[in-house]
Amino acid sequence: MGERAYRGDDTTGFQSPAQDHIEAVPDLAELLELRRPQRFAVRVKGDGLKKRGIHSGDILVVNTDAEPRTGKVCVAFVHGDVVLAVLTEKDGRWWLEPSNHAPQPVADDTEVWAMIAALVRTDV
Amino acid sequence: MFGLIDGNNFYVSCERAFDPTLAGKPIIVLSNNDGCAIARSAEAKALGVKMGEVWHLSKRRPEFRGIIAKSSNYALYGDMSRRVYEVLTERFNRVEPYSIDEMFLGLTEFARTDYCRRVRDQVRRVTKIPTCVGIGPTKTLAKLANRRAKKVVAMEGVCDFSNDDARRQAFHEMPIDEIWGIGGASQAKLNNLGIFTVEEFAALPSASVRELMTVTGQRTHAELNGVSCMPLTMAPGQRKTVSVTRMFGRPVETWEDMREALATHAARAAEKTRKHDLVATAMQVFFHTSPHAPEPFFNAQRSFEIEPTNDSFAIIRHAVTAGRSMWRPGLRYQKAGIILPDLHLAADAPRDLLPTRDPERSEKLMATLDGLNSRFGRGTIRPGGIRPKTAWGTRANNKSPAYTTKLADLMVVHAL
Repeated sequence: MGERAYRGDDTTGFQSPAQDHIEAVPDLAELLELRRPQRFAVRVKGDGLKKRGIHSGDILVVNTDAEPRTGKVCVAFVHGDVVLAVLTEKDGRWWLEPSNHAPQPVADDTEVWAMIAALVRTDV
Repeated sequence: MFGLIDGNNFYVSCERAFDPTLAGKPIIVLSNNDGCAIARSAEAKALGVKMGEVWHLSKRRPEFRGIIAKSSNYALYGDMSRRVYEVLTERFNRVEPYSIDEMFLGLTEFARTDYCRRVRDQVRRVTKIPTCVGIGPTKTLAKLANRRAKKVVAMEGVCDFSNDDARRQAFHEMPIDEIWGIGGASQAKLNNLGIFTVEEFAALPSASVRELMTVTGQRTHAELNGVSCMPLTMAPGQRKTVSVTRMFGRPVETWEDMREALATHAARAAEKTRKHDLVATAMQVFFHTSPHAPEPFFNAQRSFEIEPTNDSFAIIRHAVTAGRSMWRPGLRYQKAGIILPDLHLAADAPRDLLPTRDPERSEKLMATLDGLNSRFGRGTIRPGGIRPKTAWGTRANNKSPAYTTKLADLMVVHAL
């Protein structure tokens, strides 16, 4: 960072023709709706959902207010663990399919915490 | 009509929102420096942990063995409070954030028990925070209804005192210390007169309440009888003082450590002052040893006026100079603090004819400092002499990550 904030507007010699047109860089927090109360960012650990395009180290932006939908990936609390799982509905019951073990019914000690809304990857 | 919604054991609920291993277990959250219990889960209350329980004295009691004590994580609680507020503003036209865990609501005639129950479910789903709602024609009644909603499980989290008959019945069973603003001395006074229930208190003549408990008590009494005296306030009043006082993580014994603590507190106080566009015109500096230690207690304190300013460097200099003049070596200090007791709006602060600093230069420098610290995190740029991690720093041995505000601290989701 320089000695002062210069944004393309405030030149010392010739007046900048851009001075009335200065815009900020795109705001990704806005795109990802990170300021909304139902949006939370979480960090993925493990490559179990690589077939769904989700890699270890990715940041997922999740929505705690979204309707659960069959076939969608969600964040769930399962027996004290925070896991990523595919949500499915079979015969009117909801099931969580974590990649590493058998489907679990959504019951007392399991909770669908949020549905995945967006993905951020910085090590492409 | 007013509503009061508040988070059940709010700090504990914030911790549980991101850590499923805490579900169903006795959890407490400790005050700054891991001192006292300031929030308790239902399980911890059932084991007998009291509000304000001094944890380092109590934690070895056999019945407290299984309790999980978390350090307070205000970055998390503040953000969760904001989220609760934002959900509520989608459902109500007027929401007053009264404290970090309670918000008053302006209710229309359609927003009653069923509506509030749906909002409560939504707050729970979106923010993971369980809440209770009280409804009443005055703030005091909404608050009282909220107490009842907490206590009576069958109400499913919402208690409506909008109806006169509904509340008369409850008043009969509720002790007076459930009333907002009544406790301690006023409770003892009323009990001495044979007044124990809300019903008995509400039935007193207004004039005698005033005699007993001044205008504040009279206002509470009027509100209990359905006369609203306190409207929703949407903006906080102007701050008049800023104080930054901390217990040390371990005793401070050298002037170097004390100087640094005073400088850090002064810098934080100056930052808070600037945030509200205020300037300080006076200052109190103090430090003291432990009142519980075997050695005699030593308390140093100075109050003095300063040239109106909110410049970190000026405030640090005043604090350190005052501290130095009071410093007594060979003692073990437990706490230090800076108080700026007389703040004025920067715009109407008295201007010195011959200021000792260039005010424009100071303003620019401080704006840069605050800008960088808000962008890159508190403590990114520090006035000289303040180290990032210190020996005397506040103790926080079991603090959870700043799950919602720091990229390095996000909740980890396992995809095994």
